[in-house]
Amino acid sequence: MSAGQPADALSESGSQSDVAALVPVIRRFVHSRVSNEAVADDIVQETLVRMLAAAGRVEPGMVEPYAIITARNLIASMWKEQERHRRNQHRIVDLRSPESPDEGLLQQEDKGAVAEALERLSERDRRTLMAHEVAGQDTQSLAGELGVTAGAVAAQLNRSRARLRVEYLLALEPGTALTDRCRPVLFALSGGDRRRQREVDAARHLLECDLCEKLSQPLLERGQRSDGEVRIRIRADADIVLARQTAREVAARLEFSRTDLTVIATAVSEIARNVVRFTDGGEVVVELLEEPRRGVRIVARDTGPGIADVEAALVDGYSTYHGLGLGLPGARRLMDEFAVVSEMGRGTTVTMTKWRQEG
Amino acid sequence: MDTGPALVSILRQGSYLIASVHTALDDSQMVRFQQDLIEQIGQHRSRGVIIDVAALDVLDSFGSKTLRNISEMARLRGATTVIVGIQPDVAFAMVALGMSTGSVPTALDLEEGLAYLHDRVHTGPSAVTGSSLS
Repeated sequence: MSAGQPADALSESGSQSDVAALVPVIRRFVHSRVSNEAVADDIVQETLVRMLAAAGRVEPGMVEPYAIITARNLIASMWKEQERHRRNQHRIVDLRSPESPDEGLLQQEDKGAVAEALERLSERDRRTLMAHEVAGQDTQSLAGELGVTAGAVAAQLNRSRARLRVEYLLALEPGTALTDRCRPVLFALSGGDRRRQREVDAARHLLECDLCEKLSQPLLERGQRSDGEVRIRIRADADIVLARQTAREVAARLEFSRTDLTVIATAVSEIARNVVRFTDGGEVVVELLEEPRRGVRIVARDTGPGIADVEAALVDGYSTYHGLGLGLPGARRLMDEFAVVSEMGRGTTVTMTKWRQEG
Repeated sequence: MDTGPALVSILRQGSYLIASVHTALDDSQMVRFQQDLIEQIGQHRSRGVIIDVAALDVLDSFGSKTLRNISEMARLRGATTVIVGIQPDVAFAMVALGMSTGSVPTALDLEEGLAYLHDRVHTGPSAVTGSSLS
């Protein structure tokens, strides 16, 4: 609009008065479509501005329709804008949590723990592990250097990793007192070595030692848990039902007969009840066996006072509470194999097995 | 305390109570069942009680003992108890365990149980004295 000179000024003031006359019409039009007063006023203003700009181009009789069309377009584009905003609003939100101030500290602690864990490994273990994991040297060439077979190197690496995991977890728990049994048990768990776990009686130690119980969670999670073994914590009445139902479910995988399943569930119910009645806690482990025959083995461990006279406890009618004294002897009659090991002051382990009747 | 579906229902049928166990019960639930049942025998002045245990997964020593206790308490309150619905595999396991319901009468199902009570209760209470708990 470079033509803002006196000659035009006249005609412009003329069109301005035209535009001013439009105000009520535009207001009525816009306000009937936009409920928000402030927004409606904005649109009216915007329409007027456009009308002023276009005044020279619009034919005299067409000013009013032109104004209404302009207002309508402005309203439509406002709605479009709002709709687009609504649709894309979620993109604006950043869902990543901001880096918390303790992150750096945690990372540092983590690094310290790994360093400390590495420190605890033997010189030879550490060197081999670093050469393999950090420098990327393969087991074959490591075997050549160490003068052993590649398999032996791999086994050693596995052991070192298992130890490293344990030492790392221990390094994160500074100031905790370890018994001389803790490390061997944790190593056996970390390595996933079933035979070794039995040798050190890892299951019992986990019942007795809260620290190892806690540390064993991450160690056991990473290992491939065989689904042929289920562990149930026994503390209260309801756990008895859970234990016997679990035993039934696990045993059902071997296609035991309905009767055998009920027999197994009944035996589990009896020994789990003993754990609840006489001790402050224990566990029942249900395990499927393939060798020497197919069957199900149930181990109940507790950290109770122990049974003073196991022989007597296995006789019908021996009862220290108002029961029937049928718990242990009854369970023994129900199962094919039955063994009780009890240590005064430490607890009792009941191991019982039901073999699958073949054919 | 428990908000789930009822574990046990105790329904009145004339002068009888019919108690059905709907699911596996743990020991404390079993004891509560016993209390509820004995209480209701008094409330409804029931002469006979049928306990339907068809839904119980096992009848172990505690379960069997509780049933015997219920029966004895009911007898002392003047009601005859009959247990119905013991499943064949549960029966097998009970025998293998060395467990029994003692002298508590049993019947195959609800119908037999009702027939049993009908005979006993309506021929007079003296007929019931034949059963004693060993």
